[in-house]
Amino acid sequence: MIEVLSSAALATVQDLGRTGSLRWGVGTSGAMDNLALAAGNLLLGNALGAAAIEIPVFPFKVRFGEDCAFALTGADCAARLDGQPLLPWWVHQARAGQVLALGLPQGGAQRGTRAMLCVAGGVDVPEVLGSRSTQLRGAFGGHEGRSLRRGDVLRAAGAGAACKTGFGLVPPALAMPLERDGLPAVRVLPAAEYAGFDPASRSAFWAGEWKITSQSDRYGYRLEGEALRPIAPMELRSHGIVPGVIQVPHSGQPIIQMRDAQPSGGYPKFGTVIEADMWRLGQAPIGSRMRFIETGWDEAVAALDEVRAWLDKVARMVELHRAAPGARR
Amino acid sequence: MRDVALHASLFAAWLADTDIGLFELRTPNGTLRLGRQGDDIVELPVEPSDAQGAAGAALVTVKAPTVGIFLNGHPLGNAPLVRIGERVAAGQTVGLMQIGPLLLPVAAAEAGKIAAVCVGHGLSAGYGTPLVELQPL
Repeated sequence: MIEVLSSAALATVQDLGRTGSLRWGVGTSGAMDNLALAAGNLLLGNALGAAAIEIPVFPFKVRFGEDCAFALTGADCAARLDGQPLLPWWVHQARAGQVLALGLPQGGAQRGTRAMLCVAGGVDVPEVLGSRSTQLRGAFGGHEGRSLRRGDVLRAAGAGAACKTGFGLVPPALAMPLERDGLPAVRVLPAAEYAGFDPASRSAFWAGEWKITSQSDRYGYRLEGEALRPIAPMELRSHGIVPGVIQVPHSGQPIIQMRDAQPSGGYPKFGTVIEADMWRLGQAPIGSRMRFIETGWDEAVAALDEVRAWLDKVARMVELHRAAPGARR
Repeated sequence: MRDVALHASLFAAWLADTDIGLFELRTPNGTLRLGRQGDDIVELPVEPSDAQGAAGAALVTVKAPTVGIFLNGHPLGNAPLVRIGERVAAGQTVGLMQIGPLLLPVAAAEAGKIAAVCVGHGLSAGYGTPLVELQPL
């Protein structure tokens, strides 16, 4: 049993997402930093997509009602267990009654914005349409279809089980850094209406700095920069969209659809952030600046291969270590 | 032990052409330690225990539990895990070993005061390399 002690605004139970239901108008949801989720689960010996708690607002506190191994990944939040500092990107052992507290994200330029708390066996909530992710708009999935509140009690499916703890990972932001001219960057494929934008706007998009405004959340990020102007006004019927799509409303200030994006929209699509870089975006803090790098299909596939290769390597090394004798618990 | 000793001159000749300062070979039949004295390679007595520091004083040496890259702090943080003069508890993490993406803790064998950090941050260390020296309390 894991009891939420803080008024955990916007913390939600997430897994790798509810894919395959877009045709019914059901969005994907899932962890904003899917790499942090997968890595945390690997550290615990869980299935890659076991459900975890995504925490975007701090401080956050939980009490473990029983012995339970847990992994902290994503943003480094100066976590403490009964006051003892904990290493980030690390698998730890909690004893019954211990309190885990997460503070503000640390780390200057490398600062993330969302912590993932993975627990042994995953957070035990019912699967809905093939996923344990919280679908906030539809109010189902996750824990009662909503974000967590003080007093909520969650169960770790593997609580009490023996689990090797006391080791960690080099975070992927360090292993696979991506910057352009000193700013964090993500790679973007030009999308269907790209050619309908003014050539000056197109080059400004790639050349400019973009600020992530305070109107940014799990649904989408509203950006601020040089306005993107179409050659001629574009009126489109609503059509299917997916996380990563960059829409340009009439204001010319783009919106990137994130994990809780609605499944359809009618704004022109300027580009799409590649799947392999969505975890980077998921950790980008509000108020920070970023750049876009133009990419192509082959490079986008290669980038996804690079992410998978990193996860495969982590899985292999962690498995070797977990199987090694002389377990520290 | 006999097998190991038979090879001592062979290893000594090989070591003479390297910049290796200490060579330790552990086999099921025994341990061979060779060290450099001036230009000569000489056989050294086998250490009675891992806890005996080379300095001979009562310092306790924390050795690398694995081959890897020694880190005196977490790659995300700016602060070292421990500083010289700091008191640490038995089992406390005093450094990290990085093997590819994996980070393993280097734990203090007993409570003590950090006397020295022997390997620089980010340098590779072999199995058994002295990493940190502790003054037991």
